[in-house]
Amino acid sequence: MTWLLAIPGLPAACFLVFLVSSRRIRERLLPLPAVCSFITLGLSVTALARVWPGGAEEPVWRGVLPFAPLGDHTLELSMALDPVAAAMLIVVTLIAACVQVYSLGYMHRDERKGWYFGVLSLFTSAMLVLVLSDTLLLTFMAWELMGLCSYLLIGFWFEMEAPRKASMKAFLTTKVGDMGFLLALFMIWSTVGSFEYRAVLESLGEWPAAAAAMAGFGLVFAAMGKSAQMPLHVWLPDAMAGPTPASALIHAATMVAAGIYVVARMLPLLALTPWVMEFVLAIGVATALMGGVLACVQHDVKKVLAYSTISQLGFMFIALGAGNAEVALFHLVTHAFFKSLLFLGAGVIIHAAHTQDMRLMGGLGRHMPITAGTFTVGTFALAGLFPFSGFFSKDEIIAVLVHHDHWYAAALALTASFLTAFYVNRLLFRVFSGPEQGELHEGHPSMLASLVVLAGITCVLGFASPTFAEFLGGEGVWPELGVALPSLAVAGAGLVTGWWIYGRRGVVVNTRIYKERFARLYGVLDQRLHFDTFYRQMIVEPFAIVASALATIDRTAIDGVVNGAIGFWKRAAVVAWSFDDAAVDGLVNGLAKIDVSATRLLDDFDNGFVDGIVAGVGHVVTAASAVRRVHTGNVRTYLIGLVSATAVLVWVLTR
Amino acid sequence: MITAAHYTVLASGLFCIGLFGVLNARSALRVVVAVELMLNAVNLNLVAYAVTSGARPASALAFVLLLIVIAAAEVGLALALVVALSRRSDITAIDGYATLKG
Repeated sequence: MTWLLAIPGLPAACFLVFLVSSRRIRERLLPLPAVCSFITLGLSVTALARVWPGGAEEPVWRGVLPFAPLGDHTLELSMALDPVAAAMLIVVTLIAACVQVYSLGYMHRDERKGWYFGVLSLFTSAMLVLVLSDTLLLTFMAWELMGLCSYLLIGFWFEMEAPRKASMKAFLTTKVGDMGFLLALFMIWSTVGSFEYRAVLESLGEWPAAAAAMAGFGLVFAAMGKSAQMPLHVWLPDAMAGPTPASALIHAATMVAAGIYVVARMLPLLALTPWVMEFVLAIGVATALMGGVLACVQHDVKKVLAYSTISQLGFMFIALGAGNAEVALFHLVTHAFFKSLLFLGAGVIIHAAHTQDMRLMGGLGRHMPITAGTFTVGTFALAGLFPFSGFFSKDEIIAVLVHHDHWYAAALALTASFLTAFYVNRLLFRVFSGPEQGELHEGHPSMLASLVVLAGITCVLGFASPTFAEFLGGEGVWPELGVALPSLAVAGAGLVTGWWIYGRRGVVVNTRIYKERFARLYGVLDQRLHFDTFYRQMIVEPFAIVASALATIDRTAIDGVVNGAIGFWKRAAVVAWSFDDAAVDGLVNGLAKIDVSATRLLDDFDNGFVDGIVAGVGHVVTAASAVRRVHTGNVRTYLIGLVSATAVLVWVLTR
Repeated sequence: MITAAHYTVLASGLFCIGLFGVLNARSALRVVVAVELMLNAVNLNLVAYAVTSGARPASALAFVLLLIVIAAAEVGLALALVVALSRRSDITAIDGYATLKG
């Protein structure tokens, strides 16, 4: 089954083609990545058919590449196809295909779209490698490659300042998390001597408690960076400065889910240490709540979606912390579909309204029925309404919490889903109802096609919930009424509150009264809970102070020493000069007087002999100016001389 | 089967491309990149012989790591030089510098 290698291979080939070809050829090849992603989708479906009906522990295919022989050990890169990987392959390739098709419409006016499509392909390839990877080493490589692509795509419009800064911030923040990944890699290698997932999971009995805690915590920390969990979430809202379809693929569906995916695969290792699991649960709950609260006060459509992504990733962390990987992965899958649908819908909205600010939008619903319909499907799935996919996956998470007696966590998760329903309705009413603003038109057909496909999946995917769990080797259950009804009631309450504030009387209510009544709270929320301020004041500014102090030391102390030394030598030179003037010249002049008389005696000798020598020197100088032409001062000429001389030397020595 | 000879051919090809770049490029930046290529051709040779020799000496790999570090330092220095050159006279084409002319 080596054809599986074509799944990450084809997008990578697309990237290479785009990298080496000229702009003119690139412009003609624009549909190539979309075609490739459809082929990889077909291959992924075939792969899924091979794994079906799943549930097995052993992978159906495994490919190993010896990568680096190190003394007695050999580092291996390997890929394997197991049920989890097969399911994720479908998700990634399907969303990638939708995003590629959508981008053809979205980016068609951009000048550097060739580069955009190339990097998007490279990203897809990296994500597919991560999904198929069977060793943590290869996972880490793909993980870093995705980080690079994310950096490139966030900063795609690097002419503007905001994307440039945001790309830097995203890269550095996720790098902080990556330190955790490295720590985990070190611990795993020193304990097990192998990076293979199955080898690590089989050796769990032999792990010392401290090593298991460090490795587990390292992985969690890495996932917190990549999956934007508090307090490392700050990069994701800013990352919205990139192109919207890239946000849909990278910052909603796939890359931010990679942290969840890796932790879900290594969950038994984390479960060795109870406090790590509790930490995951606490971080998840805090992030879900924080994301929900902050999404309520954003005015930028994409930032609302970004905070809601953070919040939903928090829900996945909650499921992981409760020890249920299948439920976390199912929420990952449903979220990937409905959130990429929402982002793509937001892209159409932004194209039509020419702004991202919700306060400047309104009345889009009447002119853009397809966008409005599909967007509503996505938001209802996000709010967790029956029968959309979000209902099933979110309900399962709360059910897991209830079954494990995490009552506080369950209550807080319900609060977060109330907030979700609230901001979802705020979004819907602000964008689609109210007075119309600007010239409105429906999006490009390729964009709408992607929306319709994703909305269709969002409508039906929830019913696959038990099948999905059994496919991954877990236990498939339908939602229980005891959990589903409270959760639906909470979501309904959130929707009604949202309607009460934003949708009543069919116009957008002036929300200033709320802002004034809760001015202090709103101020804190408006500053995103001061996370950025904290980082700026505690990390960036102290660092800048230390750096400028070092620069001052460099300028005053080190340059001072150097300048002092120069000054000393200058003074010494002046002293030597005056000595030269007074003593040496005096001596010379004295000698000269003696000389004059002697010179006359020597005059004849001079005419005869010395002039002959001078004439000879003259000939030498003439010859030298011929050589001078070789001495061009041009480094390249010298190098050519060096290389040819070396070649001659080699020839002589090896003859 | 890939033998040491294949690697050597590849490495010498890389080296020649790098050499051509050093001799032919006008931009100082391109020269820096070409020098990197030559260094890495040497690295490739070292790794290839270390792997195909059967003994797989770790010292060869350590040597390669050292070379990589040196290459990184060299890039740092070279880029600083390029920046200093362009600050001085806004020219990064190395042909523009002939102050060594005798």
